[in-house]
Amino acid sequence: MAPPAGQIRPAKYLASFVLIVVALYALVFFTGNGSAKPKLGIDLQGGTIVTLTARQEDGKQPSEDSLNRARDLIEVRVNGLGVSGAEVVRDGNNLTITVPGADSEGAKGLGQTARLAFRKVIGQPVPAGTPVQPQTSSSTAPSSGASTPPSTPQSQSAGTPSSSNAPQGRPAPNLAAQPSSTPPSSSTAPSSSSAPTSTPSAPSNVDPKVAKEIQEAKALRQATDPQILQQAALLLDCSKADPLRGNDDLDKPLVTCDEKGEFKYTLAPAVQPKEDTQTKADDYTNYTRLTGEDIDNAAANNNPNGTGYVVNLSFKSDGGSKWAKFTSANVQQAVAVVLDGEVMSAPTIQSAITGGSTEISGKFTLKEATNLANTLKYGALPLSFDSSEAQTISPTLGLQSLKAGLIAGGIGLALVFVYCMFYYRLLGLLTILSLGLSAVIIYAVLVLLGRWIGFTLDLAGIAGFIVAIGITADSFIVFFERLKDEVREGRTFRSAVPRAWVRSRRTILSADAVSFIAAAVLYVIAVGQVKGFAFTLGMSTVLDLVVVFLVTHPLVAMASKSKFLSNPNLSGLGGAAREGAAHRAAVTGKTAAVKEA
Amino acid sequence: MGNVFTRLYVGNGAFDIVGKRTRWYIISGIILLVCIGSMVFKQFNLGIDFEGGTKISLPSVSQSGQVISTKAVEDSYAKALPGKKPNAVQAVGSGGSATIQIKSPALNVAEVATLKTALAQDTSPQGGQTAISDSAVSASWGGEISGKALWALFWFFIAVTLFLAFYFEWRMAVGALVAVFHDVIITAGVYSLIGFEVTPATVIGLLTILGFSLYDTVVVFDKVKENTRGLLGLTRRTYGEAANLALNQTLMRSINTSLIALLPVIGLLVVGVGILGVGTLQDLALVQLVGMFVGALSSIFIATPVLVDLKMRDPKYIAQAKRVAARRAKASGPQVAEGIESVDEDALAADLRKEEALAAAASVPHRTAKAGDVRRRPTGKRQR
Repeated sequence: MAPPAGQIRPAKYLASFVLIVVALYALVFFTGNGSAKPKLGIDLQGGTIVTLTARQEDGKQPSEDSLNRARDLIEVRVNGLGVSGAEVVRDGNNLTITVPGADSEGAKGLGQTARLAFRKVIGQPVPAGTPVQPQTSSSTAPSSGASTPPSTPQSQSAGTPSSSNAPQGRPAPNLAAQPSSTPPSSSTAPSSSSAPTSTPSAPSNVDPKVAKEIQEAKALRQATDPQILQQAALLLDCSKADPLRGNDDLDKPLVTCDEKGEFKYTLAPAVQPKEDTQTKADDYTNYTRLTGEDIDNAAANNNPNGTGYVVNLSFKSDGGSKWAKFTSANVQQAVAVVLDGEVMSAPTIQSAITGGSTEISGKFTLKEATNLANTLKYGALPLSFDSSEAQTISPTLGLQSLKAGLIAGGIGLALVFVYCMFYYRLLGLLTILSLGLSAVIIYAVLVLLGRWIGFTLDLAGIAGFIVAIGITADSFIVFFERLKDEVREGRTFRSAVPRAWVRSRRTILSADAVSFIAAAVLYVIAVGQVKGFAFTLGMSTVLDLVVVFLVTHPLVAMASKSKFLSNPNLSGLGGAAREGAAHRAAVTGKTAAVKEA
Repeated sequence: MGNVFTRLYVGNGAFDIVGKRTRWYIISGIILLVCIGSMVFKQFNLGIDFEGGTKISLPSVSQSGQVISTKAVEDSYAKALPGKKPNAVQAVGSGGSATIQIKSPALNVAEVATLKTALAQDTSPQGGQTAISDSAVSASWGGEISGKALWALFWFFIAVTLFLAFYFEWRMAVGALVAVFHDVIITAGVYSLIGFEVTPATVIGLLTILGFSLYDTVVVFDKVKENTRGLLGLTRRTYGEAANLALNQTLMRSINTSLIALLPVIGLLVVGVGILGVGTLQDLALVQLVGMFVGALSSIFIATPVLVDLKMRDPKYIAQAKRVAARRAKASGPQVAEGIESVDEDALAADLRKEEALAAAASVPHRTAKAGDVRRRPTGKRQR
């Protein structure tokens, strides 16, 4: 009398498993980019990973909005690096920047808010509306500088070669007054600069191109030759995305636009270039020597002398003295607040400012003033971030780690195989098969998750899988031990399977539930590596259930129905079967004994 | 009853674990004291993730195939960053994965870049400058990770207690939690005692031990629950004995599971220590090795005994234990059932009927006992 529960049609379950596998792999190969590779973490493929943690001065929780804005801004900067596959992920108060590849160290500076610099404005700003003849069709061969010279308004007057002996990085004071006609010398041919076209927001496959654009833009707009700078100011198109955004060198001059794209500025270097050996270190005529790090605080306030708002800015003590020296040397000159290579504001210095604090007045609305104050205080980011962790992993080390992880997994699996074969024989074979199929599903899910939710497999994740081998194998063991119990009680293999299944199913479910709770709690609360580990652990717990229900149990049920396979010596149940026989005899004997009593 | 292995394999209650529980309590109490003492007085060897600092690693073979000495690396460091000193420079790993690790106080981005350039020039490791890895961690990062981990621990305990209390009963939840605390404290204690380095990976590992330890305990408790169904109506065995039987029946499974879970971890450890020398794999493997081992022991020697102690505070179970003792004292018939027990519905129902009959027989022993025998017979057949 077999109990009604636990009897199944194995073929149906196996078929549904096959269906799942086929569906998963169809998704893997026929959707997305069709590449069957999971997304590897930085520690496995090499690259840089930076974790930034938002810090509020008052210890309050930063607002969602500001965190998301910071994420977006940092993403813009990351894309500016021109490396493909870079990404910025927000996780609570942390932003994690991952940049794959060997040449990725630039990512370390991205979270810094000190992208701000003060540069002296040279000459007068030029309205951005100045039409510049647009380049056509040079984007196909941007490198072939000689072949397509830019059709600048002026034709070659060729003469005036750049005065290479001029103090480098030190533009002539009356530069802006000169007629802007001289084309650059051919050696620094800006021909290929062809305006910074392609937006850096599509990082895939454009990395060399973007990098090239940055270089070209630097050669032109940060040239140490004043004449090239002039040319650059003419060519610059403020309506286009700026490849130099956040990539400008502080020790070189810069031609750039203001935030609204209305004016073009030519700016002096912020800090003294190394090449400039003539200027004394305390000469503030040209260099402000100030960056965002010198700012202590900034706040928007009501204009005490009229309507509108002003921004009050105070420097740290060192910055204050620099500011005092610079302002006294440059009264009535304009100084630009440059953020990520963009002019935020270019106030004119009314008088020497010695107190360490400054008032920037203008026709600011409250919003504009607050924005400027925040920019001054935090750089572009609405929050201040600390670099919690910054790692650069060389591709070789990444590869070694990947190999080591795979070897470890291999060794682990092999040991489990040997043990199962030794202890469970035929059932051991089923264990191995089930583990193998588990791996097949896990791989497909990994690939798909990498594609859909950007899940990356890192070293901790691999460790999670390896640990999960134990948990997966345990489900089989619980089942098999139950099976043995039943056989030991005198049942045949065939009648034992359904009974053992009904009971072990409950145990497996509850044990997996505990394991899953552990993984889920870890995943929700933890940060960084821990998350990856928890995710893989939880995922393999769920997939373990799939395999046990759809594969292991049906296979055991099938084996129990086959005469050959249920041979006790093959199934590793021999000992239990003998015990069962003895038990039957004992029970009979006992019943007899009770009768006599 | 054969050798130990046969006893294990057959699992028929041959090891009296619950009965000797005082012994286990004392042993684990001593171990716990030592561990707590070590944590209080010796504390932990915290990695750079907790202290803050910079770690640089480079291949220990130069482009010309020569081994780079740690001395050369130290010299290069001193030259590149005058006035700073590395905390430690050591060679780790083996074969193609051998590296030199520099642990240094926190360096800023520019200093790291300077140092890497200098190292690439001075020692010219295989793969050039791009082969040099670095990792800088702020002092607060490790703290943040551990802080989160503690929160995770807290919520985990709440979630699991609710689950166990709902699925089993509160006493089992308590028993399981005691065992888990025991595991965590001992694992942490071993780290403190031996002075293994604590990294975020260690913390991760510690958290998963919780899952594993509970997992093991749940399987044992499931069997205990099954074995003690209808126990109060029977005088065959006390709760403690039933629990002990459950322990024995699942003993082989516990050992198997622990072994199978440990085998991959050993693989991890071999690779982590042998090939890479440092890092996530090694840290995880080490903590899991210790934790799983302790976890397996505690699910056997701590969780179930604690459960039994809690149960035996319940008057119902005390009374039942007395009845069992009384029955045994006067019984001349079969005592505690030998060998394996069937715990399915039929057998249980039969036992219950038999017990009722026995109770009724207390006044008129002879006749009712006979009636009991009569009733017993068909079920005996069915049992087959």
